[in-house]
Amino acid sequence: MLYHIFKNGWEDKAYIDARVFGLDKVKAEVMTWTPERVQDVTGIPEAEVLRIAEMLAKNKPSTVVWCMGQTQHTVGNANVRAMCILQLVLGNVGVSGGGTNIFRGHDNVQGATDVGPNPDSLPAYYGLAAGSWKHWCKVWGVDYEWVKSQFASQAMMEKSGITVSRWIDGVLEKNEAIDQDSNLRAVVYWGMAPNSQTRGLEMVEAMKKLDLLVVIDPYPSATAAMAAMMRKDGVYLLPACTQFETSGSRTASNRSIQWGEKVIEPLFESKPDHTLMYAFAKKFGFEKELCKNIKVNKDKQGWDEPEIEDILREINRGAWTIGYTGQSPERLKLHMKNMHTFDVKTLRANGGPCDGDYFGLPWPCYGTPELKHPGTPNLYDTSKHVMDGGGNFRANFGVERDGVSLLAADGSASKGAALQMGYPEFDHVLLKKLGWWDDLTEDEKKAAEGKNWKTDLSGGIQRVVLKVYGCHPFGNARARALVWNFPDPVPLHREPMYSPRPDLVDKYPQPDDKKVFWRLPTLYKSLQTKVRDISKEYPLIMTSGRLVEYEGGGDETRSNPWLAELQQEMFCEVNPRDANNAGFRNNDFMWVETPTKGRMKVRAQVTERVAPGTVFLPFHFAGWWQGKDMLEYYPEGAAPIVRGESVNQGTTYGYDSVTMMQETKTTLCRVTKA
Amino acid sequence: MARMKFLCDTERCIECNGCVTACKNENETPWGVNRRRVVTVNDGVPGERSVSVACMHCSDAPCMAVCPTDCFYKTEEGVVLHNKDACIGCGYCFFACPFGAPQFPNGPAAFGARGKMDKCTFCAGGPEENGSKAEFEKYGRNRLAEGKLPLCAEMCSTKALLAGDAPVISDIYRERVMRRGKAGEAWGWNTAYGKPEQAAPAAKEAAK
Repeated sequence: MLYHIFKNGWEDKAYIDARVFGLDKVKAEVMTWTPERVQDVTGIPEAEVLRIAEMLAKNKPSTVVWCMGQTQHTVGNANVRAMCILQLVLGNVGVSGGGTNIFRGHDNVQGATDVGPNPDSLPAYYGLAAGSWKHWCKVWGVDYEWVKSQFASQAMMEKSGITVSRWIDGVLEKNEAIDQDSNLRAVVYWGMAPNSQTRGLEMVEAMKKLDLLVVIDPYPSATAAMAAMMRKDGVYLLPACTQFETSGSRTASNRSIQWGEKVIEPLFESKPDHTLMYAFAKKFGFEKELCKNIKVNKDKQGWDEPEIEDILREINRGAWTIGYTGQSPERLKLHMKNMHTFDVKTLRANGGPCDGDYFGLPWPCYGTPELKHPGTPNLYDTSKHVMDGGGNFRANFGVERDGVSLLAADGSASKGAALQMGYPEFDHVLLKKLGWWDDLTEDEKKAAEGKNWKTDLSGGIQRVVLKVYGCHPFGNARARALVWNFPDPVPLHREPMYSPRPDLVDKYPQPDDKKVFWRLPTLYKSLQTKVRDISKEYPLIMTSGRLVEYEGGGDETRSNPWLAELQQEMFCEVNPRDANNAGFRNNDFMWVETPTKGRMKVRAQVTERVAPGTVFLPFHFAGWWQGKDMLEYYPEGAAPIVRGESVNQGTTYGYDSVTMMQETKTTLCRVTKA
Repeated sequence: MARMKFLCDTERCIECNGCVTACKNENETPWGVNRRRVVTVNDGVPGERSVSVACMHCSDAPCMAVCPTDCFYKTEEGVVLHNKDACIGCGYCFFACPFGAPQFPNGPAAFGARGKMDKCTFCAGGPEENGSKAEFEKYGRNRLAEGKLPLCAEMCSTKALLAGDAPVISDIYRERVMRRGKAGEAWGWNTAYGKPEQAAPAAKEAAK
């Protein structure tokens, strides 16, 4: 599409000149992708690509929406950057109705990500550097040295951990090959579905080898059943209640936050997550440090329950990077009570007690709650004042690269900014240089000395920059089309690990294997070369994804009779041509077999939804294993109503070269009549 | 007095089955009894369309005409309801209905063994006292008596499914058609509402 956009001069030149860095190198790569070459690799004819490119270019603003189809590939990082570049080239980023919208799969995924479950960062994307730890220790009110003493070494404390996608290798990999002292010996599955992760056959081996496996979930889940298939002891089930049985804030894909009230008391013996977390901390002897700023109450059964509002207040006190600071429990509750005062198109309150706020105070909602930042409905929007939800691109990578400025061009700052040019991020030095230091109060000065916009706990730097001068605390820079610190600075096509086209593997190979990547050796080229010709045995492309009826691993939704009735069996979508060649009909049982030696017995859904040569399987099912019902492995009365084969029993090895995201969206298989 | 109708805008229905789930949850209908379902035509090929179908509460309802025990009645708002105590499970209404609305708890069993017919009530209950336990157990929730519309349409995320007073929902649909600049038939309306309103015993009392 970019080829046609550049060829026809449909790009937004002024926008690119002012706000984008490194596009020339991207353009050079794009122009080598002639329509013939594109059709050879993707199968999509020129006319169709041109039609969509023209539609996007001539109907502005337009947005691009994706979910996991872009990310769960070895080149996922390149795919999503390519989409962002497309939107930058069209000038569609930072405008209402534009942007890239990546939909989350379930309630509060965004909120969970923001508080830092990823192994390379503390909450709010602060990273793991010593300074980041010190910042959070100060927020938590605990001694940095004490926190450090909880780790084997400072190196371990600051080294990115093993990602969830690879935990099985943390268990199974040879000890000398991993970048930490011991292999993983205990795993806690906290609201996580094992059947949403690839390489299921190896996963049960890893489950067998563990010393300890803990499942924290409203349902025993596929984890419990898979483990029970492999072992008799060392597995603990802790019943967690659902979101309806506790209160608290939930963050949506658009970064807006809603306060949820408890609908019913937790059922049976279940407890909310934070109560379980506190019980663990108590057992381990650091509950005082965990809840230094958080009041602890007794629940009805006498368990200690940290106060939810205080947890959010602690997040508010520390998460300056993403502006998760202004959304106090009080402000969020006020929004919920006055929902009717918000305009359904602008999402802005029109009068009433929340006047001027955007609903849910979408982050960044900078400064302290008292600053009354309204939240940011669209990121990077220069047409608005920063105190009106406006913004620009972040200066996160210095001020120049290879002699070229990384800062935005003159005149491209947000509306009303005192600095109508590109500028770096703010710290105490820049504030003094600009003569803005004396706008701080005496107390703020004390807190801000030696600090920057994201470590000043008083919020003074943010207040002065935003409110007094209308500037953005994180600076005003260009968006990077060229990401020099990634393995492929310009997004490149590379054939998947398991490709149906050996000739394309030769032309677009994976990069070399990595010896240490998120603490693990990771295969790329060597594996791809080894399986170069495997499509002779496994000729069909196998992809997987979601259904509307179920959610995630599906243990909760497949246990709900209203939903279970709608999708009663695991199935595989097959094109009529492939079904006829394989000799089965619609609704027959069929086998899907993959290079992992995974075998899945599923219903055939013969449909034109998939093209010849491709099959699709949903990933929400579990409870069958290689043709057999696993009912006996669930605790009595706790099995989901609907059970079926997990597609991820058969998915293969392959990980994104930056994020370590698993490759679920493309592998190979063969199909036969069962 | 309002004349209640359903309207499913096939340009908007995305086959999410939210209406089906809302209906089952609100009325607690058993497995296998589907008062509402989503039907998709041309699945997987260009021109694919989905439509959410339930009892349309016809103006001249064929089910009423064929029922040998006269178990059907029509409310003042045009909602076609039935009295399960009078139903003998013969299945004639199922054969007569152009929308496949009548459901039988025991499935396609022999005459007399199918069980009492069940169908969409427009969330308006049955002959029993409004909001009573007996009414809920036989017919599900009586939302109309609470001043609420059917939950299927209330939950529709794209507002493809509309339920309410005919002039109101017709206006909404007419405005959409005008904006789209192309005419579209309101799915099923000719079949359901193309004939003159049938005079019927109006009140619940008549059916008791």
